[in-house]
Amino acid sequence: MSTPSTPSPDQMAIVLTESATDKLLPFATLVSGAIAMGFRVDVFASYWGLSAFRKGPSVPEVSPGHGELGARLEQALTAPKAPSWRAILEMAKSLGDLHIYACSQSMEILGFQKEELDPLVESVTGVATFIDTTRSAQITYFI
Amino acid sequence: MTGPDEPRPTPTGAPPRMVVDARGSWCPGPLMELVRVIKEEPVGTEFELLSSDEGSRKDIPIWLNKAGHQLVELRPDSGFDRFIVRKTHE
Repeated sequence: MSTPSTPSPDQMAIVLTESATDKLLPFATLVSGAIAMGFRVDVFASYWGLSAFRKGPSVPEVSPGHGELGARLEQALTAPKAPSWRAILEMAKSLGDLHIYACSQSMEILGFQKEELDPLVESVTGVATFIDTTRSAQITYFI
Repeated sequence: MTGPDEPRPTPTGAPPRMVVDARGSWCPGPLMELVRVIKEEPVGTEFELLSSDEGSRKDIPIWLNKAGHQLVELRPDSGFDRFIVRKTHE
């Protein structure tokens, strides 16, 4: 039996299904932290998580039901140094090994074309391919 | 013979130092700024990173340990921390 000559890098797998800013910011933060720590990161963008990657400006949208704290977040997002989740992902991509895939089922149901998506999304992928790509990931998240 | 773009040694012989002011930037903004400039600048460069993110106090040393660069000094200031970091390898 031969063994690989170089060990696989650490890997994080994320399934993203939400589009509210209070989901996208923690998502982008996890991605960039993992990239900084030398992880390869693979993201499966599905349903509203995929809709967040449509081209054009991403309008901040805070999940309802958080009362005064939701208003506080909305206010914080207007700060001059407030991060945009896409800018965080672009920086992470420029610094490391980040792959974002569009869920093919969501593409079909929502009627999206690949050209409508931000270039951060590298390809349209079925779930089995994603599972195969991330079978050895040490860290997995569903957001 | 040295080319026009070659960095000259400073008169005091001190390593070149770059200030990265990431105050006001949210976690992990300061860390990502440091990762970016360390990638871009030559070995031997010192960085003075300013961060008001409380997470940086542990994040920056953990990352430096993993990446193999040197934390020269961590100095708390008023409302922020000052990290002196040296790039030790490519």
